[in-house]
Amino acid sequence: MLPLVLVNIVVILIPSVSSVIYSFTDWSGIGNATFIGFDNYTTMFGDADFRNALWHNILWTIFFLIVPMAMGLFGAYALTRVRRFRLLFRVAYFIPYIVASVVSASIWRSLLSPDTGVGKILGVNFLGDRNLALGSVAFVNNWAWWGFLVVVFLASMQSINPNLYEAAAMDGAGPTRQFFSITMPSIRPTFAFLGLMTIIWSFLSFDYVYILTQGGPAGSTDVLSTLLYRNAFGTLQAGYASAMGVVMALISGIVVAVYLWIRKTRNWEI
Amino acid sequence: MDITRRNVLFAGGAVGLLAILTACSSAGSAGSDLDYWYYFSDGNQQKYFKKHFVDDYKGSVPVRLTVKSSDTIDRLTQTALAAGKGPALIVTPGPSQVDAYSGAGYLADLTKYADKYKWNEKFSKWALEASKVDGKLVTLPTSYESMAFYFNPAVIDKNKLTVPKTREEFENFCTEAKAKGMIPLAAGNADWKGANEWHLTVAFNHNAGPHAIYSALQGKTPWTDAVFVDSVELLASYFQRGWYGGGVDTYFTNQFPKVYKQLASGEAAGMISGTWEFSNLAPYFGKAAGNSAEWDWATLPSFRKGIPPVVWDLGIGQSTGVNAKAPNVAAAAEYLNFLTTNTKTIAASIEAMNFQPPPIQLTVADFTANADERTTRLYTELPKAQTIGYTTWTFFPQKTETYMINEFEKVLTKQLSAKDYCAGIQLRFAKELAAGQVPTAPEPAGLSS
Repeated sequence: MLPLVLVNIVVILIPSVSSVIYSFTDWSGIGNATFIGFDNYTTMFGDADFRNALWHNILWTIFFLIVPMAMGLFGAYALTRVRRFRLLFRVAYFIPYIVASVVSASIWRSLLSPDTGVGKILGVNFLGDRNLALGSVAFVNNWAWWGFLVVVFLASMQSINPNLYEAAAMDGAGPTRQFFSITMPSIRPTFAFLGLMTIIWSFLSFDYVYILTQGGPAGSTDVLSTLLYRNAFGTLQAGYASAMGVVMALISGIVVAVYLWIRKTRNWEI
Repeated sequence: MDITRRNVLFAGGAVGLLAILTACSSAGSAGSDLDYWYYFSDGNQQKYFKKHFVDDYKGSVPVRLTVKSSDTIDRLTQTALAAGKGPALIVTPGPSQVDAYSGAGYLADLTKYADKYKWNEKFSKWALEASKVDGKLVTLPTSYESMAFYFNPAVIDKNKLTVPKTREEFENFCTEAKAKGMIPLAAGNADWKGANEWHLTVAFNHNAGPHAIYSALQGKTPWTDAVFVDSVELLASYFQRGWYGGGVDTYFTNQFPKVYKQLASGEAAGMISGTWEFSNLAPYFGKAAGNSAEWDWATLPSFRKGIPPVVWDLGIGQSTGVNAKAPNVAAAAEYLNFLTTNTKTIAASIEAMNFQPPPIQLTVADFTANADERTTRLYTELPKAQTIGYTTWTFFPQKTETYMINEFEKVLTKQLSAKDYCAGIQLRFAKELAAGQVPTAPEPAGLSS
C-alpha cells in the first residue's frame, strides 16, 4: 500500500497540485512563473475559442451518451440471444477497441478521404467540411468504442438470473418487454457507471480529434483537450492551459459527485 | 496504514526506481561528451549527419548525438532544462521562441564567441540581429529558408502556361490552369496547420510589401491598416476560388504526399511553399519516383504596384544556443561554430542531402560540379537579395504567429472577416511588442546593405 501511495503522490498528487498552482500564474512552460490571480480564469470564460471547445465537448458527450450506449446495449442484448459463435462476435466487436487510436484514425482518414474513400463515392469531404467534421470524428471514435460497451454490457447481462426471463416468457412478455422490464433494471448500476465514465472520458477526449483534424477546420472540431494542448505547446501559455485543465477536472468532479449522490439516494450497488 | 518491514522495503524500491528514472532523465548532461539532441526527416539524413557532423568533428570535446522526434524535441528539451539538465546545445524552432528560453536563463551569452569565431563576418547581418535578445547574441541561426514558386517545367510547357511574375500573370495562370481542369496550386494543411502562415507570409510580403510589414513590426503601422486587410482578403478570395489545393475543404484535408504527387503528375500547375521542400520533393520526381518528371522553382510574383518584382522572404527555420548550465560552454560554442560555419561540410550536405544551410555566405565555388543547379542557384542568389521579406515564423512573436495560423481558417470559411482577423493580430501584437517579445527585424533593404 505504501509504495502505491508514494507513486500516486509523485505521479498524480504533485502534478495535480502543480497544475492548480500554475493555473494562477502566467507561466509559459519555460522558466519562471508570475502569480496573476484569477486572470487565466476570467480570460477563459471570455474566450470564444474556449466556449466553442466546451460546446463541442457537450455535443460530444451527448453523442457518446446516446449512440454508442444504445448500440452497446442492443449489441449485448442481441448477443445474449445468440447461442453459436458468441465468443467470435465478442472478439470481433472488441478488436477495434484494442487497435491503437493512431492506427484506426489513419485507416479511417483514408476511408473517409474525398480522393480515395467513401468521400469520393459520395462526393463529400467529411473531415474538410466544417459542418461535418465533428460528427465524422465522433463516428470514427465511436467505431472503436462501442464494441467495448457491448462486452461490458454483455458481462453484466450474463449475470442476470435466467429464471427471470423464463418466468417473463411464460407470462407472455416478448423480447422488448423483457429488455425493459428485466434487463435494464438488472444492469442499471453498470449502465449508470458507464454513463458516468462516458461523460468523464468525453471531456478528456483528445487522440482521435488530434490525429484526424487537429481541431480544424477553423476550430470546428476543437475540444477542450486540443485547445489546452495548443495553448500549452503552441502559444506557450502553460498557465492558461493549466487553468483549462483545472476546469476540465472540476467538470469531471461535479459529474462524479452527482453520480455518487444518485447512487447513495437510490441505494445502488456496483 | 500499518508500516511493516515489507512496506518499508517496497517504499525503498519505489524510491530507488524513482532515483533511477531521475538519473535517466538527467543523463543528458552526464559524462564529458557534448550532448546534442537533434531530429531528422529520415534515416538517410540521420546517417549522413552522424558521419559528417558528429563523427568527423575533431573539436576539443567529442559530440554525443541523441536522435529525437521532431514532434517532441521541444517539449523534451524544455522539460530537461526546467530540471536544470538538458543537452549542451539547445535546438529551438527559431527566433520567435528564443526570447522565452533566454528569459528563463537557459541560454548562454555567445557574444564573446562571436568575436572569437568572427561570426559577424561569416553570418548575414540580419540573421545575427534576429538572434539577439536584449542586445546579447544567445543563439545562432542553424538553418534559413525562403518562399518559392514551384512548378513542373514540362507541365507548364504542355499547357502553355507562364510562370507568373505579377499579380495579373498570377491570376491568369490560376484561371487558365483551372480552365484546363488542373488545380492551379497544390496545397494542403492536413499534416501541418502551420502551412497557413506560409501563404499569409507570401500575401503580406508580396501584396502589402516588406516596407509595410517592417513598419508594423516596429509598431508604427497597425496591422489593421488597409494594406494588410486587403492582403488577407485577396488571399482568402484565391482560396475560395479553388486555386489553392482545389478548394477550401480539400485544402484542409490534403496531406503533403498528395500535394507533391499533384505537382509531379501535372494534376497541379504549381505550388507555393518554402525552400525546405527541396528535400521533400526529391522522392516524387525522376528516378526516385520511377517517372520522368522534374521540378524547378522561381521567385514569387509581386501582387501590387510598387512592390519590388523580387522579394526574398527570409526565415530562420531553426536557432541553436548553448545551455547556460552545460559543463563546457566553450566547447559547445566551438561545436556550434563548426556546425554553422564549416562551408565545405555544409555545402557538401546541401549537395548530398538537401540540408538547409545556416545564413552564411556560400558561393558557386563552395559546391562541386555535381551539385544540383536548382540548389546552388538558391543559395548563391539568396545572399544577393536586393529586397527581403519577413516570414511570420521568424519575425513575428509567438502568440501573434499562432493566432495567425489558427484564425486564418475562420477567414477561409467566412466565419471571420479579414478586418476582424487583422484586428486580432493587432491586439496580440501590441501586447507582445510592449513586452519586448518581437524579434529584431532587419530593414527591408538588400542583404548586402
